[in-house]
Amino acid sequence: MFSKKQNFIIWSTLVLILIILFLFDIILGSVRLPFTDVVKLLFTGNTERPEYTTIIYRFRIPKALTALFAGFALSVSGLQMQTVFRNPLAGPYVLGISAGASLGVALLVMGLSTFTVVSQIGVLGNWTIVLAAWLGSGLILFLILIVSIRVKDIMTILILGIMFGSATAAIVNILQYFSNESMLKAFIVWTMGSLGGVSLNQLKVLIPSVVIGLIMTFLLIKALNAMLVGENYAKSMGLNVRLSRFLIFFSTSLLAGSITAFCGPIGFIGIAVPHIARIVFKTANHKILLPGTMLLGGIVLLLSDIISQLPGHERTLPINSITALIGIPVVIWIIIKNKKITSV
Amino acid sequence: MKEEGDILSINHLEIGYPVKGNSNYILYRDINLCGKSGELIALVGKNGIGKSTLLRNISGLQSSLNGTINYFDKQKQDYTRADFARMISFVSTEIVNVTNLNVFDLVSLGRFPHTNWLGKLTIEDINKSAQALEMVGMSSFARKNLNEISDGERQRVMIARTLAQDTKLIILDEPTAFLDLPNKYEIIHLLNKLSKEEDKTIIFSTHDLNIAIQEADKIWLMLDDKVEEGAPEDLILDETFNKIFEKSNLRFDKIKGDFKMQKMHQCKIGLIGEGPHYTWTKKALERLNFKVEKGNDSIQYIKIDKENNFGKWTLLDDENKHEFNSIYDLSIYLKIQTGLPRGRQKN
Repeated sequence: MFSKKQNFIIWSTLVLILIILFLFDIILGSVRLPFTDVVKLLFTGNTERPEYTTIIYRFRIPKALTALFAGFALSVSGLQMQTVFRNPLAGPYVLGISAGASLGVALLVMGLSTFTVVSQIGVLGNWTIVLAAWLGSGLILFLILIVSIRVKDIMTILILGIMFGSATAAIVNILQYFSNESMLKAFIVWTMGSLGGVSLNQLKVLIPSVVIGLIMTFLLIKALNAMLVGENYAKSMGLNVRLSRFLIFFSTSLLAGSITAFCGPIGFIGIAVPHIARIVFKTANHKILLPGTMLLGGIVLLLSDIISQLPGHERTLPINSITALIGIPVVIWIIIKNKKITSV
Repeated sequence: MKEEGDILSINHLEIGYPVKGNSNYILYRDINLCGKSGELIALVGKNGIGKSTLLRNISGLQSSLNGTINYFDKQKQDYTRADFARMISFVSTEIVNVTNLNVFDLVSLGRFPHTNWLGKLTIEDINKSAQALEMVGMSSFARKNLNEISDGERQRVMIARTLAQDTKLIILDEPTAFLDLPNKYEIIHLLNKLSKEEDKTIIFSTHDLNIAIQEADKIWLMLDDKVEEGAPEDLILDETFNKIFEKSNLRFDKIKGDFKMQKMHQCKIGLIGEGPHYTWTKKALERLNFKVEKGNDSIQYIKIDKENNFGKWTLLDDENKHEFNSIYDLSIYLKIQTGLPRGRQKN
């Protein structure tokens, strides 16, 4: 808990960092753009170099927006899962939701290989990918939900989540074995994660999905706070636990599923960022933690994207590797700090 | 049966667990109990008999199999979720420990059924939460984190949360389970005070019968096939308490108000003395399986003398005389004298 003045300083610093990183993410890339030109173009719409307009509007802004919204979505869905399962190591990735999404996409890309290459699918195609990823992640979430009603021990659910994830990976392996080369490559590139492959048209699908998921989560703040003390207490205080849990799982599926569909499975953001937010804001109240996690999620993923294309690299590194390298130390720190991994 | 002034009345309640297939797993078939305003009620019974299940049924966390529970004049289904939560609150045995959640935040969570959809705390909500903390004597802990306070303090905070919830009925499942003796007394005493001063009906389950007898207005006694209710004193006088542990050697001592293991006394011993020294020496001898006969010096006997508040124990029989400075020394001698194990001794 901080005073109002301290709070204001923290929030404005984070927003400032977010804006700076957003600009940096636009400036940096395989072609280095002069800072002044970028700012001028963004704020006035004019530039002496017309090719900059193409680069910025067709590639850099979509990529930066994707990083921003993927950061929002993954970290917020991770926070929700940690609260619902009351487990600091929960997250969309650990519970196998991303694996489920990858199963959906694998089935679509490789199973239904009568379609053309993924990148050539238009707006309707975007919807089918999002739908496939949603259905995949929804399936895993549904299984976890059934188990979580029957099994009380939260570690059991976590282990089962990992098992579901592995089972999905096994099915994906079989699909890979039987699919043709171009489909296989399309899928493997998808699994490496990429923020740069999302076009402006695709953003028209991605951003609304994420925004709906985020709005749902913000409407669930009160329920999430009640769930901090466990479902029994939440119920005794008048919360409709089943409905709230369903809505939380639905929004998580929407957030993590959509991002995974377009960018591939991006790991560790969902687990690590909520903990960074807890360290920064020192509270468990979702009214602060939720927007805080969202902001920090945007910051961390923009930063990861910037690192993945540090000047001098012709090609960008897979975003998944960068987020893992940033996230894993945080997760290790949680395990060492919390010897009893029992509560969030 | 329903009487005037009953806040809670339980009629022909059947509790247990539904089992897949045909028959349910039934703990009790016909529970009839009631609670009035301002009453502190202790739910007593042995482990695993169904205390938690009954409390979960009353607090609406679990559905009963049959029968009715009336809260005021209505049943649970006649209330909305929020109205029900404004009428009854619950403290479970679960230890709540959330990183970064401070005491005040936890207590103000109790305002959940009173706040708007965003959970925004109004000035009234903040005041009520602060008052709740004050009532349990935890005001100075408001900004502490939950993992920085002791079990006794945490239990007070959990009680404050129910006070913030502002309900007429409060249900607590073993609120004294993890506490040391002074804390047990303090918590139950606090519940008694709250039931009287705030005019609440508080129901708690416990294994601490001594405390329950001292503080509770009424006891709900869970026996093997039925649940009895009554003032603790009534249950003592009509020997209902003895039925709790019918199968063991534990018997309720009507005079002392405490349970005691029934033992087969093996050897007789005389004891001469008075005051607390006499009482505690007698207890020690009984623990060693002696049947103590007061003032009998015709058999082996012990005489207690007091010198400047220090006791001196003299063991006398036909020919020998031994002196001891503590009960412990005396008991060691007696153990050697009679030989261990004691089971083989005869009169």
